[in-house]
Amino acid sequence: MIPAILRAQWLSMRLFRLASSRRSGVFTVIVAVLWYGFWTVLAVVAGELAAAPALRSHIVSFLPVAFLAVFAYWQLAPLASANMGASLDLRKLLVYPVPRRSLFFVEILLRIATCAELLLLMAGTAIGLVRNPAFGGLASLPRVSLAMLLFAAFNLMLAAGLRNLIERLLTRKGIREVIALLLMLAGVLPRLLMVTGVANRRLAHVFPASANPFWPWGAASHWMLGPAAGPPLIAPAAALAAWTLAAYLFGRWQFTRNLRYDFQEAQATVAAANDRPWAERLYRLPSLFFPDPLGAIVEKELRSLARTPRFRLVFVMGFSFGLVVWLPMMLRGRVEHSAMSGNFLVVVSLYALFLLAQVTYGNAFGFDRSAAQLYFFAPVSISRALAGKNIAAAIFIFLEVAAVAAACSLLRLGISPGQIGEAFLVTAIAAFYLLGVGNLSSVNYPRAMSVHRVSAGGGAGRTQGLLFLLYPIALLPVFLAYLARYAFDNQVVFYAILALAGALGVAVYWMAMESAVSAAYLRRETILAELSRGDGPMAE
Amino acid sequence: MSDTPAIAIHDLRKTYGDKAAVDGVTLVVPRGCFFGFLGPNGAGKSTTIRMLTGLVPPTSGSIELLGMPLPDRELEIKQRIGLVPDESLLFDRLTGAEFLEFVGRMYALPRPVAIERAQSLLDLFELREKRKLIAEYSKGMRKRLAMAASLIHHPDLFLMDEPFEGVDAVGARLMKDILLDQVRRGATIFLTSHVLEVVERLCDRVAIIDKGKIVREGSLDELRGGTESLEDVFVRLVGAGHEFHELEWLK
Repeated sequence: MIPAILRAQWLSMRLFRLASSRRSGVFTVIVAVLWYGFWTVLAVVAGELAAAPALRSHIVSFLPVAFLAVFAYWQLAPLASANMGASLDLRKLLVYPVPRRSLFFVEILLRIATCAELLLLMAGTAIGLVRNPAFGGLASLPRVSLAMLLFAAFNLMLAAGLRNLIERLLTRKGIREVIALLLMLAGVLPRLLMVTGVANRRLAHVFPASANPFWPWGAASHWMLGPAAGPPLIAPAAALAAWTLAAYLFGRWQFTRNLRYDFQEAQATVAAANDRPWAERLYRLPSLFFPDPLGAIVEKELRSLARTPRFRLVFVMGFSFGLVVWLPMMLRGRVEHSAMSGNFLVVVSLYALFLLAQVTYGNAFGFDRSAAQLYFFAPVSISRALAGKNIAAAIFIFLEVAAVAAACSLLRLGISPGQIGEAFLVTAIAAFYLLGVGNLSSVNYPRAMSVHRVSAGGGAGRTQGLLFLLYPIALLPVFLAYLARYAFDNQVVFYAILALAGALGVAVYWMAMESAVSAAYLRRETILAELSRGDGPMAE
Repeated sequence: MSDTPAIAIHDLRKTYGDKAAVDGVTLVVPRGCFFGFLGPNGAGKSTTIRMLTGLVPPTSGSIELLGMPLPDRELEIKQRIGLVPDESLLFDRLTGAEFLEFVGRMYALPRPVAIERAQSLLDLFELREKRKLIAEYSKGMRKRLAMAASLIHHPDLFLMDEPFEGVDAVGARLMKDILLDQVRRGATIFLTSHVLEVVERLCDRVAIIDKGKIVREGSLDELRGGTESLEDVFVRLVGAGHEFHELEWLK
């Protein structure tokens, strides 16, 4: 049955094999090669470091911390990127007589796909340790392999359980955004406390304790390092086995609960347009400035996005997660007067701009799915449709910056009005570049996104990959302005270069729009086919 | 009324790799005609409609709608077409009223007019639940809303792909009455349907497409030849042998 499910998923992706979509497939391969190439290089470096006998004491000290980082990345990266990867679409599979253990096994396999880069990294480290005579050399191979496999299994099953739990929690309107916020805070809180010095002593018990063989990361590293790490091997091995068993039970429990959970019922409670009168007036506002059909498109986008659970979640993450991720650096920088502390608001705003890409401008037709054909058969040029969607995205981007600024003020971070103005200005300039790139990716790599499944990846993969590659390039002119301010210590030079960056951004946006419009015309059939594509037995 | 045909297709082809979905279709639909476009599943009906609406570019051949060539005068043509596609064109996160107003404004109706027409269409099609999002609509309600959207700008040509699919008897009757009324005022309707009784009752002329080619075209009387029903003609022309009794395990 498992091969049948996997085959059905593969066949449902066969659009990639059509000649018209080959370009998308090539791009996917390029992004994958770059991404996994980067991690392979990291794995090789980790392997070389782990294989150096001279670094024995450093390895003993840092391996538990490295495994703690692996654990944190494995469990938190899907939250940070608002992309929790593929999962089984149980609504499609439950009608068949498939044993639950088989479904759970496939769910575990899918978690491998979400964090395969960590397996690469861990494999590289394990190979290095086996090569290191200080840890037993080749004779340590069974011990190192078993410890690594158990640690990977622990992470996979915990990730599966957490994913199911979070997915269920996030279906409920109202508590969804709060839970997302709490989860993110919980993930970043230890680091925040450490950097700020609050409860430093208490946390000091936990962090050296990453070497404590009680914790899964400590147990895994102790077991892998063997007698060189100190305590008898039986204790870390037993601890890791117990953690893995607990993760398995937790994963199975959450998976079983998801099987019984009525997602449609939960979603039914959100499917009503309960807009307040003031919200209605806000939606209508753009029509005062933009004539139809542009005004109608902007208005429609504002309504649709505001009612889309996935968009709302990412919007909340844009200012909350950005804030908590960068806040420790800012607070540390306050002491050292670093660039981070001076430009904190700009950094968080640019992070929010990047995060919003996947649900707005990076895949502009994603939430419309097959309904996007209306833009192609209505008497409206596609440039209007894209411009309308861009304007709506820009409105949300500026709301995001405003939310970040408000949060900074509430936290009394000492952000001046000038810095708030600068954040708006820099974000607007950066947005020209990114919206241009987003228009190109929207027509060249469109993908239907689920509005129902809050945690579904949707168009995140390729679109985010493209933006991830182009983000540093797009921000280069803005970065040059900051470099000039640092070098010359002169505001006039800074704003002059920023003005140039803005003018260039407008030109880039205009050229990208021209290119996107002709691509949309030539590729309309592929675009609509991609957007109308149904999911296979797994929801991406 | 102009004497140019509502639809004039010449040698229209659409190929996917070496497979022809539409293979040299030539068709003329006069204005004010209720035209039925029939064929078995996968015969090329939807692909033809998608080419007529500009959603899919033809591999070769020419299309003229309402006397204007496609794609040269695409925007003018689109302004005068109402479409009910086979798959959903509805934005799930809008209410029915919001969607109809949006469509009206896309067709350059002033907002007050779009709102007024949206309201009257919602009343007409009994879609009065103001705050219900389209995501919560049943299949029949979605079809009725799509039909309402195709009417809002008062088009001269309707392209309809299975418009009655999933609609209950009362809704279907209303839709038929509206369409017949549109034909009476001079509009042209190009409709595909698998329900041959509906085609028989509504259409003046019919074309049957199979494997991408037109296998018969004419008035209903011409097709039926006085003795056969439309179903008999259709099955004779495109039906394959049903050998299910040869499947021993199914008995």
